[in-house]
Amino acid sequence: MTDEPEPGLELTSALVPLFVITNGRSLPPEHAYERTTLVSASQDASAEARTLSPEARQVLELVTGGFLSVAEVAAHTHLPLGIVRILLAQLEERGLIAARKPIPRAEHVDRDVLNAVLDGLRARFGA
Amino acid sequence: MTEDALVWFLVAVAVIAIAAVGILSRRNKAVAKRKAEIEAELNQQLSSADEQIATLSRELQQFKDEHAERIRQAEEAAEESTKAVLKGSARFLQSLAAEQQTLLEAIQRKYGGHSVLGDLLEVSHANAQMSRKAQGIAVVCGAPLGRRNRPASVYDVVRSAMGQIRNFERVAIMQQTGFALKASAVSPVALAVAELLDNAASFSQQNAPIEVTFQRVQKNLCIIIDDAGVGMSDEDRQQATALLSGDYRPRLSQLGNQPKWGFPVIALLAQQYGFRVDVTGVSRYGGVRAVVLLPEELWTMEETAPPTETVQTGHVSGPVPPSDSAPRTAHGLPRRGARQVPVASVPDRDTTTAASPEPEEAGQAARRSLGAFQRGTLSGRKLTVAPSEGADDA
Repeated sequence: MTDEPEPGLELTSALVPLFVITNGRSLPPEHAYERTTLVSASQDASAEARTLSPEARQVLELVTGGFLSVAEVAAHTHLPLGIVRILLAQLEERGLIAARKPIPRAEHVDRDVLNAVLDGLRARFGA
Repeated sequence: MTEDALVWFLVAVAVIAIAAVGILSRRNKAVAKRKAEIEAELNQQLSSADEQIATLSRELQQFKDEHAERIRQAEEAAEESTKAVLKGSARFLQSLAAEQQTLLEAIQRKYGGHSVLGDLLEVSHANAQMSRKAQGIAVVCGAPLGRRNRPASVYDVVRSAMGQIRNFERVAIMQQTGFALKASAVSPVALAVAELLDNAASFSQQNAPIEVTFQRVQKNLCIIIDDAGVGMSDEDRQQATALLSGDYRPRLSQLGNQPKWGFPVIALLAQQYGFRVDVTGVSRYGGVRAVVLLPEELWTMEETAPPTETVQTGHVSGPVPPSDSAPRTAHGLPRRGARQVPVASVPDRDTTTAASPEPEEAGQAARRSLGAFQRGTLSGRKLTVAPSEGADDA
């Protein structure tokens, strides 16, 4: 039985599937952890880090000591964005991280329009 | 006168009696002789009959043996041909499931930011379970197991096993250790642990915990699986021990209508790859304690931290190259603190291309977080050399 003349199939998929990394949790709601949401580790997070899975611990280490956007965390960990969002939700539930919603984007002003307005004001009131 | 008569009478009686005795004894002798003759004849007949019976029974036994042998051969042939058919089918399923798993992974990465990811994860879980069944059947039918080419930590091997059972959320790995399995042991141990976890999950309550711990015992590494189930009866335990030790190897037809592949699969894997499995222990919850005992040939100490490959910063940095003065994390990644040196890109724009409006700059700025944008504009205003803005301010 021990001799194996036939070559076995080589498994190329990841050893640990993504659904195990998230421990079977579902995605957080759409508006939570957007790409630009900034996350940072809480003060006392490092003590609990030992009990985390390696992936969650990596995420926590990345956001320790500063803010990093969700998209950046995903890029650094090479994990899909959704997986990172699940991990972050899990970490926030345990109080290990804090998330800061992205500030609504400021509208870009057209300098020509502003100049036109300025010119108009000058013309009307005199500069 | 009367006396003479009496004497003569007595004499006559005596003579008659003697004659009678003589005649009788002669007849007796003749009868005895005849009896001996008949007895001898009968004995002879009896022994020849005995002989016949013996030969007949020998022949019968021979026929019986031949018959049994024929039946055994026929059964074996049937078993072999069934196995061959099953093996072919299982291998087909096995490779298809593996292919699908790889495909699903690529899709999961492709749609990683999409809400469809949640469903994809479930599909992937279902596929992993199918893959386990196919692999189990293939192993029992004598096909080789799918192999992995890289060593892996025993923690990851157990997580891989978790992914192959239904309610894996109940499984808790209690510790992370520095033990790693050699590449050749990764998939067989994962499959054996998956079968044990499946047993643990099937024979315990829906929400009961299943705990996995690791222990080094002399030169062996033990993976210990404790469940909080009902435990096994003595009969079950004996049967399981017989199965796992390889003393008893059931035929395919003996696996039943709802075949129990678990122990036969584990037993074969253990025998082929040289590890031992014991399920006779009692867990701390009164359920079953299963122990996978890996000899030193199958494991090593983990050499390096596995996720080192993720520390390549080159292709993940956006249009903004991090300035050298920025503090970095232990992994060499830029650390974003509260009050930092302004991001380099904004002054760049003002100093190099001052007057041109640059249509693509809007797109670039949109990719940055607003914090960086604010800091950038602040620093931009502090810069003295900005001719166009000077005109605007006037």
